[in-house]
Amino acid sequence: MQEYFSNGRLGRLCLKELRESLRDRRTIVTLFLMPILVYPLLSMAMQRLIVGSVRGTSEKQEYLIGVADEETAQIFNNSIRETQRAINAGVRPSIDIVRSQTSSKNKSDPVATDSDHPDSDHTDDLQALFRLAMPERSSTSEALKDGLLDLAVIQAKQKDLRSRDGQSIPVFEFELQFREGDLRSEGAMLEFRKAMQLVNDYQAAMIRGPSLPTAVQVKAASIGKRFDPTASLAGVLPLVLILMTITGAVYPAIDLTAGERERGTMEAMIATPAPRFVLLLSKYVAVVTVAVLTALANLFASWITLSIGGLGRALLGEQGFSVLALLQILPLLVIFAAFFSAILLAMCSFARSFKEAQAYLIPVMLVSLAPALVTLMPNIEFSTWLGVVPLVNILLLSRDIMTGSPAPLPAFAAVFSTLIYAAAALVVASRLFGAESATAGSQESWSDLLQRPRKARAIPDLGELSIYLALLFPIFFIVTNLTGQWITEIVPRLWCNAVVLILMFLIAPALFVWYRRLDFRNTFLLDFGASSCSKPGNYGISSQLGWLISSVLLGLGLWVIAFELFKTLSDLGFGALSLERSESLDALKKQIREIPFWMFLLTSALVPAVAEEFFFRGFVLSAFRHRLSAVWSIALSALIFGVFHVISGSVLSIERFFPTLLLGLALGLLAVRTGRLWPGIFTHAIHNGLMFWLTRFEEQELEGWFGKGNQHFPVLWITASMGVVGVAVLLLWMSSLDRSHENVS
Amino acid sequence: MIVATHLRKQFVVRGKPLVAVNGISFHVKEGEVYGLLGPNGAGKTTSIRMVMGLLEPDEGYVEIGGMRTDQHASLIRKELGLISTNDGVYPWLSVREMLLYFADLYAVEVPIAKERLEELAGLLGIRDFLDQRCSTLSTGQKQRVTLARGLMHDPPVMLLDEPTRGLDVVGSQTVFEFIDFLKKRGKSVLLSTHRLDEAERVCDRFGLLHHGTIRYEGTLSDLRALTGKEHLVDMFIDLIQSDRTQAPISSSMGAA
Repeated sequence: MQEYFSNGRLGRLCLKELRESLRDRRTIVTLFLMPILVYPLLSMAMQRLIVGSVRGTSEKQEYLIGVADEETAQIFNNSIRETQRAINAGVRPSIDIVRSQTSSKNKSDPVATDSDHPDSDHTDDLQALFRLAMPERSSTSEALKDGLLDLAVIQAKQKDLRSRDGQSIPVFEFELQFREGDLRSEGAMLEFRKAMQLVNDYQAAMIRGPSLPTAVQVKAASIGKRFDPTASLAGVLPLVLILMTITGAVYPAIDLTAGERERGTMEAMIATPAPRFVLLLSKYVAVVTVAVLTALANLFASWITLSIGGLGRALLGEQGFSVLALLQILPLLVIFAAFFSAILLAMCSFARSFKEAQAYLIPVMLVSLAPALVTLMPNIEFSTWLGVVPLVNILLLSRDIMTGSPAPLPAFAAVFSTLIYAAAALVVASRLFGAESATAGSQESWSDLLQRPRKARAIPDLGELSIYLALLFPIFFIVTNLTGQWITEIVPRLWCNAVVLILMFLIAPALFVWYRRLDFRNTFLLDFGASSCSKPGNYGISSQLGWLISSVLLGLGLWVIAFELFKTLSDLGFGALSLERSESLDALKKQIREIPFWMFLLTSALVPAVAEEFFFRGFVLSAFRHRLSAVWSIALSALIFGVFHVISGSVLSIERFFPTLLLGLALGLLAVRTGRLWPGIFTHAIHNGLMFWLTRFEEQELEGWFGKGNQHFPVLWITASMGVVGVAVLLLWMSSLDRSHENVS
Repeated sequence: MIVATHLRKQFVVRGKPLVAVNGISFHVKEGEVYGLLGPNGAGKTTSIRMVMGLLEPDEGYVEIGGMRTDQHASLIRKELGLISTNDGVYPWLSVREMLLYFADLYAVEVPIAKERLEELAGLLGIRDFLDQRCSTLSTGQKQRVTLARGLMHDPPVMLLDEPTRGLDVVGSQTVFEFIDFLKKRGKSVLLSTHRLDEAERVCDRFGLLHHGTIRYEGTLSDLRALTGKEHLVDMFIDLIQSDRTQAPISSSMGAA
C-alpha cells in the first residue's frame, strides 16, 4: 500500500486518468464550449423574463407612490418641487434623480391621479420618477402589500416657516412604508430619501444655516417581505452552475469506470497489485478535477455574463454578482463536485458498459433534480434541517450567498454534511469499482457494507466509519436542533441532551459494532485490569496508577486553557454572540444555579464523558487507526470531535471548535498511549465538571479570582495549568514506556 | 511454480447453482508451458482467475512460488502477468504512457521501468509507434502493445487466457514467438485456449478440462498412450461424444 503513496506514484496514476479525460474531445466540449454558449443564451432568456415580470426597466424607471388623499398628494408634490428648487439652486443633484427622461402625462392607470406641475425644466422628470396614485378600494398600506404600489405615504405633514427676509420655508414630515427585500420598493425608498436629502442640504446651506433642525424628516417602516418575482430567478443561477458541474463530471466518471470495462483494460488493471482504493482514488481525483474545471469555467462565464449585461444587478440586487460571492461560491462548487463525483463513480462502477452507465445515471439525475427544482420556489427558506439534505443544501446556500445573507448554522451543516456524504459515497464507489459481477460474490462489494459480515474483525475500517458518520451526522444535527428549539426549560433540556448523547454515541455505535461483528474490547479500548488482556500490551499496576494521575492532572489543567481559548475567541467575535443570545445566556445561568449540582454533574460531565469517549476515542479513533498512523488518527478524530461540538442546540458556536479540538487532541493522545478508554473518561469528566462549575458563578463572584472587570483567568493560573498539563503528558509518557503499545490492528 | 490444489468454484446463475470448476488440481514447473485446454465454458477462465487471485475458490487453494494466493494476494500479483482475450488499450494514451502506467500499477521503480520499456520495444517491435496514441494503432500493433504490457513488471509466471482468439495467422504467430521467448527466459506459462492445434505446438504438458474437471493430464505422448488418439482434437471429440452417451450436455457450462 505504502509504495503507491510514495515517489509521486499516486500523482502519476492520477495524471494518467486526467490525460485520458482531458484528451477526449467530449470532455473538452462540456468544459469550454457549453459555458460559452449557455450563459449568453440564459441571460437573454432571463432578461426577457425580468422584463415581463417587473414593470419598467432601467431606462424607463418610475415608482408608483401611494397616497391616501389629495392633501397628502399635494404635500408630496410640494416636497418634490422643493427638491427641484434645490437642484436649480445648484445643490449637486443625485444622479438618479434626473436620470428619468419620460413624461408622465399620458398615463392611464385606473388607480392613479396624476398631478401636473410644470413649473420648471426638471420637475417633469421628478414627477415621472415618482408617480402618485390613490388606491380606490383599499388603504395605501394594503395596496403596497399587494404589490400594487412601490411606496406608501402613510402620513405627510407640511409647515411653512418664515425666514428673516420674509421667504416661506416649507418643512416636511413623512411617514412611509415599503416592502423589505423587494428591489423596486427599496429602490423607491432610496430615491425618495436622496431627493429629500437634497432639500435638507439646500435649506441648510442656503437659507436656514447649519444649526437649524432638518427640513424634511422621513420615517420609514417595512411591512415585511413580499414575493419578489426576481428572487426565484436568483435561484436559477446556482441550479445552472450545479447542473453544469454535474455535466462536467458525468462523462469522465463513465469513461474512467464503465469505459475501462468496455475497452477491456479493466481486468488487466485490477489484476495488478495496486489496491482498488488507490485505483479509484486516482480516478476520483481526475473526475473531481474535471468537474472543478467545468465549475470554474461556468462560474467565470456566468460572472462575466451577469456583470456585462447588468442582469446581475436586476437578479441579485444592488451589489450584483460580487467578486466576494464568486469567491464564496467557488469552494462550494468544489465541495459539491467532490460529493457528486463520488456518487457518479459509485453509480458508474456498477455498470459494465457505457450505455449501462448512462442508463443508471439518468434516473439518478432525475431523482436529484426533483428536490433541486424545489429550491426555485420563491418562498423556500434555507432552514436548518434543509442544511443536511444533499444537493438542496448547496443550492440554497449558493442562492443565499448570491443574494447576500446565508444563515451560518445551515451553511455549516451544508458544507460539513456534504463532505461526509462525499466520503461515504467514495467508500461505496471503491467497493463497487472492479467488483466483477453479482455472481462473483467473493469480492468485497457494496452490499458488504450493509450485510452482516461472516467473519469477526477487531476494529472498524474507514469505510464503516464514513458510512456511520454519514448516517449519524444528519440525524444528530436535526435532533439537536429540534430539541434546542422545542425544549427551552433547562432541566428537561439537560436530560434530553444526556439521552441523545447516550443513544447516538453509546448505544448506536455499540449496536453497529455488534452487527458488523467487530470486537468490542478492541474497538472501544475496553481494557480495565492491569493484566487482564493480552492486547494491547501488559502494563503493571504502576503504569495504571501513572495513567490515573496523569488523566486527573490533564482534567485539572486543560479546562483553564480551554476556557481561555473559548473566551479569547469569543472576544475576537468568533462566537458572534448577539445581544439576544447573551441575554438568553444570562437567563440560562440563573436557571442553572437553581438546579442541583449532582444533576448537572451527571448530565453534563459524566454522561458526555462516557458517551463521547466511547464514540470519539473508541469507535472513531480505532477506525482511523485501521489505516492511519497514530498522529493522523488523533488529529482527525479530534477534528471530528470539534466539528460535532460546534453545533449546540439550534445555534452555531464556532468559538467552541478550538477548545474542543484541543481537548480532543489531549484525549486522543491519552487513548493511544494507554490503549484504554477509562483514563480519557476521567479527564473528560473532570474537564466538563470544572467548566460547568464555573458557569454557576456570577460575574461579580468571579472577580475575586479574575480581578476586577477581568473576564479572564490570571496569568499565573494559566501558566500553572500549562505546567500541570506538561507534567501530565510527561507522566503519561513515562508510565507507558515499560512496554510500547503498538498498532491495535 | 504454480500449484493448484482441489480448486472448486460454484456460481449462482438465475437462482440455480452452477459448478464452474469442480475440484481440479495441476501444477506448472519453472520454464514450463502448461496448456489448460477445453471447449468454451469448460471452466478455463474461472480457473485462471482463481490462480490470479481475482476469484476466491470455494474450496482448495493456489500456491505461486510457495505463497498461497489467499494470504499474500498483493505480493503474488507482482509475480504474475496476465494477458487475456479481451485486453484493450487506452485510446487516448500513447503507447509509452500506457506501458509506464502499468509499470506504476505494479510499483516498478521509474528508472527500471524505462529501461524495460526500451528492451521490450526492441523485442516486440513497437519502438516505431511508442509515442503514438493507442487509438491510431492497427490490431496487430495493439496486440504487441498488450504483450509488452504483460511483461512490464517482468513476472516469473505468465497467465495467457485465450491469447490468440480473434487473431489472424500473423497475429497468432507473434503470440507463439512470444511464448517461446517466455520459455527461454525460464518463465512458467499457463496457457488456456480452445485452439487445440496451436496448443500442441507450444505446450509442454496439457490438462484437458471438461465440465469443470480435468479429464486427462500429461505430455502429448502421455495423452496419446492414454487415449490411443494421435491428436488433441480427436481426444476431445471422443471426450465430448462419451459425454453425450452418458448425460445430456447442460445448456450453460460455466461462467467463463
